[in-house]
Amino acid sequence: MSTVNIKIDGREVAVKEGEYILNAARANDIFIPAICYLTRCSPTLACRLCLVEADGKQVYACNAKVKEGMEITVDTPNILEERRAIMEVYDVNHPLQCGVCDKSGECELQNYTLELGVDSQSYMIPDTKREVKNWSSVLHYDAGLCIVCERCTTVCKDMIGDAALTTVKRGGEALDKGFKETMPKDAYAMWNKLQKSVIAPSNGTEYTNCSDCGECAAVCPVGALVSRDFQYKSNAWDLKRIPAVSAHSSDGFQIYYEVKPASIENRNEKIFRVTNEWNYVSLDGAARFAYDFENTDVTKDEAAFAKALEAFKNAQTVRFNSVITNEEALMLQTLKEKRGLKLYNPEVRAFQKFLGYYQKASGNRFWTTDNDAIMKKSDFVIALGSALRNDAPGMKYAFNNVQKLNKGAGLYFHPIADTLIPSFGKNVECFTHKPGLEEAALYLVLDLFADKEKLPEEVKEYLASFKTTETKTIKEKVMKDVTETVVDEETGESKEVTKKVPEMVDKEITVEKNGLVDLLGGNSSTFTDTFEKMMKKKESFSMMIGEDFYYHDKAENLAKLIALIEETSEIDVVMAPPKANALGVALICDLDDEAEGYTIGYNEIGDFRLSALGDGDLDMPAMNQQEGTFTNISKRVVPTNAAVEYGGYELNDLVSELIEEGESLTVDWTVRLPASKGFRAIEFDALPNGYSNDGTENRGYLLKTSNRKAKTPSVEKFDEHAALEGEIVYRCNPARQFSDFSDKAHEIFEPFGLYASAEKAEALGEKVEVVFGNGSIVVDVIADEKMTGDITKLSDFKSAQNVYELFGPARYQTVTMRKV
Amino acid sequence: MGLEQFKNRNVGTQNYKMLDLGQSPETGMGKFKQVLDRTFKGELLVGLWVTMREMINALFKGQMHTVKYPFEKLPISPRYRAIHDMLRLLESGHYRCIGCGLCEKICISNCITMDTRYDENQRKEVSEYTINFGRCIFCGYCAEVCPELAIVHGPRYETASEQRASFSLFEDMLTPIDKLNLQQEYDGFGAVSPNADENIKKTPLAY
Amino acid sequence: METTLVQNLPEVTAAGVIIKAILILAVIAAIAGFGTFIERKVLAFMQRRLGPMHVGPYGLLQLVADGIKLFTKEDIVPQNANSLIFKIAPSITAATAFIALAAVPVFPDFTIPEWVPLLGGVFVPSIAADLNIGILFVLGMMAAGLYGPLLAGMAQANKWGIIGAARTAIQFLSYEVVTGLSILAPIMLVGSLSFVDFNNAQAGGISHWLIWQQPVAFVLFLIAGFAETNRTPFDLLEHEAEVVSGYATEYSGMRWGMFFIGEYANMITISIIAAVVFLGGYSEVGIGWLTIILKVGFFFFLMLWVRAAWPHVRPDQLMWLCWKVLMPIAVINIVITGIVMMV
Repeated sequence: MSTVNIKIDGREVAVKEGEYILNAARANDIFIPAICYLTRCSPTLACRLCLVEADGKQVYACNAKVKEGMEITVDTPNILEERRAIMEVYDVNHPLQCGVCDKSGECELQNYTLELGVDSQSYMIPDTKREVKNWSSVLHYDAGLCIVCERCTTVCKDMIGDAALTTVKRGGEALDKGFKETMPKDAYAMWNKLQKSVIAPSNGTEYTNCSDCGECAAVCPVGALVSRDFQYKSNAWDLKRIPAVSAHSSDGFQIYYEVKPASIENRNEKIFRVTNEWNYVSLDGAARFAYDFENTDVTKDEAAFAKALEAFKNAQTVRFNSVITNEEALMLQTLKEKRGLKLYNPEVRAFQKFLGYYQKASGNRFWTTDNDAIMKKSDFVIALGSALRNDAPGMKYAFNNVQKLNKGAGLYFHPIADTLIPSFGKNVECFTHKPGLEEAALYLVLDLFADKEKLPEEVKEYLASFKTTETKTIKEKVMKDVTETVVDEETGESKEVTKKVPEMVDKEITVEKNGLVDLLGGNSSTFTDTFEKMMKKKESFSMMIGEDFYYHDKAENLAKLIALIEETSEIDVVMAPPKANALGVALICDLDDEAEGYTIGYNEIGDFRLSALGDGDLDMPAMNQQEGTFTNISKRVVPTNAAVEYGGYELNDLVSELIEEGESLTVDWTVRLPASKGFRAIEFDALPNGYSNDGTENRGYLLKTSNRKAKTPSVEKFDEHAALEGEIVYRCNPARQFSDFSDKAHEIFEPFGLYASAEKAEALGEKVEVVFGNGSIVVDVIADEKMTGDITKLSDFKSAQNVYELFGPARYQTVTMRKV
Repeated sequence: MGLEQFKNRNVGTQNYKMLDLGQSPETGMGKFKQVLDRTFKGELLVGLWVTMREMINALFKGQMHTVKYPFEKLPISPRYRAIHDMLRLLESGHYRCIGCGLCEKICISNCITMDTRYDENQRKEVSEYTINFGRCIFCGYCAEVCPELAIVHGPRYETASEQRASFSLFEDMLTPIDKLNLQQEYDGFGAVSPNADENIKKTPLAY
Repeated sequence: METTLVQNLPEVTAAGVIIKAILILAVIAAIAGFGTFIERKVLAFMQRRLGPMHVGPYGLLQLVADGIKLFTKEDIVPQNANSLIFKIAPSITAATAFIALAAVPVFPDFTIPEWVPLLGGVFVPSIAADLNIGILFVLGMMAAGLYGPLLAGMAQANKWGIIGAARTAIQFLSYEVVTGLSILAPIMLVGSLSFVDFNNAQAGGISHWLIWQQPVAFVLFLIAGFAETNRTPFDLLEHEAEVVSGYATEYSGMRWGMFFIGEYANMITISIIAAVVFLGGYSEVGIGWLTIILKVGFFFFLMLWVRAAWPHVRPDQLMWLCWKVLMPIAVINIVITGIVMMV
């Protein structure tokens, strides 16, 4: 991308073309005051503090784009006066309860009031009573403290996609007209707006219907939005920040565990909340609220340890999941190599296989893009095989952000219709296809985006075979000139007047119909036009692949199709590893298809259970109690740190006893991660962990990619009749639930159960027995307002329920429902 | 500065009175004379008179100095920094502490700890508060920083106890509700300065 | 008139003497104890303090409390002490003090009323043993009392005790001289060593008191008396700033208490001698018992008063004062008295 040179306060900086002045300044460490602007969201223009002078003209830095040779002055006397007036206005009637406010000490209102030297107040207006409200099980809104900067609504709309918040009328008194003359212009305008509005759930009720990610509370500059659990629990300055990685979704979000001693009696450190660098990363609900899953009060139980060693000596299989660090995965792999243990991980195995197919077909070691890159440049995203709202929060944010900020368009293919996805933007087209037709979706993508020249002949022919043309009569509105004679009533003169009058005429057109569109549940007659509109001015295309594909009968063909799409079109691909550190496990461990004999379960069921959940035969540290690295969706190896004390044995202690090549610390394994898979031999303590001012992710290191050109993959045709029919259950967790660990956290309320659309839930009743081919499970039925259709979602986050076993190698299963 | 100057430097404005000790007599006769002088000058009687006078003052003129300590106590300076008191609001009787945590933050010996929570009235409630008096150095920073004049140094300087914990909980320091009318405003460290009103800038208020 | 007083008295019986002895022992011991209370009180008042206040009204029962304490304290004999002498020493002090009192008129005489069973009609004399050499006996007894502190200090195997003992020897021996010489002049005037004679010699009002004839002797006797009773400003024997507690360093409990009682008994003895020899004794007709109490009380109070007012002297000053000042003056006084009597 081309750069332009600008001067800010005399400093020459080179910035990306089309960048906002504010972002340019932030990236170059130049301070321009701003409250309402969020780096990765659209400008709100609510605070007007970012007023700067650019080439002699006053502009708002948050929505004025840089131009070559622009000279910017941040402070001029006039601007300083404006800013001071704005801060004074923000302070009008703001409660002086900083003493009890949770934000005190990290409050932007406090900071800017001080920064802009507000030491007296010139303005006044009667206050309006504003009620404190609980918007959801996690959100607490104190309207009295709110300065209506709209960061919450902005981030919810532009980043999260829920658009659950909006501004509503406050009912405040109108401003005295006298102020208009005496006040600086921008301050008056800002005040005028502020006095009229307040934030409320956008659905018109008292409660938000959103994913409870808490990002709105994170971005709130004042104490208006605080998590209900954290409210009044601790002062910001008492908390120690431990940089870590979210242990739930495969996004591997950077988080800070904020800890301090639990209480007066209990001086052990406890996690009070999770915060994030919200300008650079947005968290999902699990990352933010599922933090207290530590294994508490553990001591070194030597008897249990001896039993565990004995169990390992007898064991034939270790069963584990993806909530495990790279180092632990490497330990298990080493055990496999030295002691011949089988490694069984149904969560990751399918993904590992799929990755293998993809590598073989495409020649790439990894997918070609990541969510961050998509947000930065893509303007067309295609999501396949992923229940975006539940599976992959990072992908959901990226999909939404592209619609909002990049004027993008999107295609969403999934068997379960979700009412949230179309709301991301008007150029989002959803295909609710039958499960089993994922190949057809990829063929449609090929048809729509591939450079036909590059496609193999048989594919071209196969695609063409779906096309039909038909003539259609449509009514078209045509403007016709009609001449009338009008008599003027007063004068009696008659005049000829010519008017344009619309008239409907029949017209015959030839329409090309694409059978694939219809097959996938779309409307081929309108799709062509829609797609044409979507494709306008689009330059950068991305495709998101989800977990459905890994558990597909035809996974190999799907992988080949993806490789073919990459080869023949401009589309970049990102794949979502199923959970947590699935990618790391997939790369490091040589997984087996079946468990066999005496099994050791690590956070999973087994004959001998190692567990960080506190219910096993030997306690293990949970993810917030150990150091190590994760491999996330961005193909990045990121370090996480221990936030809570752990007094028991670790996997490393066991491994050191069992093999000779042990290490003294878990993180000593970091350098031993296999270079053949792209890992680098960097000491754990040398791994950076942060973001730079321009948003560059500076955490850990990127896995080394490799690209050996493979020959064009030969893809198979799909079988239209493979589509599943009947009562179908989809293995899918509710948002914010990923594993037993998220379930253990006290701020995660989503229950285990069968999630269904409202009508379906009513039809099923309160409780139902889901009968699979190899067993059955009795679960509660829970209505999900955002789902439509007949397919239901069965949670899998409780390992004890062994849902993976019921589903076998697929994510969709036909079942029988029995009322209980 | 030379040693001589250093010795003669003006270290203050005190006017010391030097005693004229004179010379001790060397000869036997001189000593005898000194004895006679001292004997007949009546100096010995002056000593007797002084003690007698003090006795009379003490017994009959009410100048007895003794304070019967546990029963009588001398008033202490308002700036004395003894065991902390937690004050209540005079009108409502509710404790003043809002749980802002500034005392906890400023405490240089890290002896203040508090637990707070969101209470039923949507307010911040101090659920537990404690000062570790084994560590407290009574510096008074907590009283000074307190924005509500809630934590102050009380007059309770008798800190002998079977357990230090006897002083350290919120309830122990809080003015008993039935003694609210006896609650004294604290004038020491952290109290509002007498001319505080003059230093406050008025803010326009619409109502 | 002088003779009738004595001659009209009933016969002194053994029973009367025994009763008197018991009376002296009981009363003086009690007064000695009470003296400690008075001393503490007077010193306190002079320093504008209250003194003992909490045991009994105005602290009156403090001496009971102290007594209980002394009696119940553990009796400690130091490991290397000569335990026999260590144990005996306090009784020497107490015994000599009380023996001295045998020859001193303590109360006026009286006869036990007839209706009292058993003892009815027994005459109790004012002096337990009305020796005609009463003064000599008293002075001799008090001089013998020096063995108490001396032996105590030497027996206790303690350096401070040794120093205390040494000081005892020099101080008591030296001032014995001054006491004797100073009282010699009044004896020359009266011509008797009996206290009764002294008393009678001064009967006839204040103008007959020997103090007017022998002011120098009075002052010298007083000074020497302070030294003999180990009082400030001559309390070198156990001055805590110099020798911890001197001869009493290792003593505690009742043994220590006996030194104390002895000291106070001696104070009373000296007071009585001073009152009888120089201030007319109990010679006032009818109120003799009251005047003697007042006079003794005054001397006792004087000792406390002096303690409150004056610092103590150094040992060298003490010796210098004794041998170079007081003794010569006493001798000169005797000579002058003799000359005056001759003339």
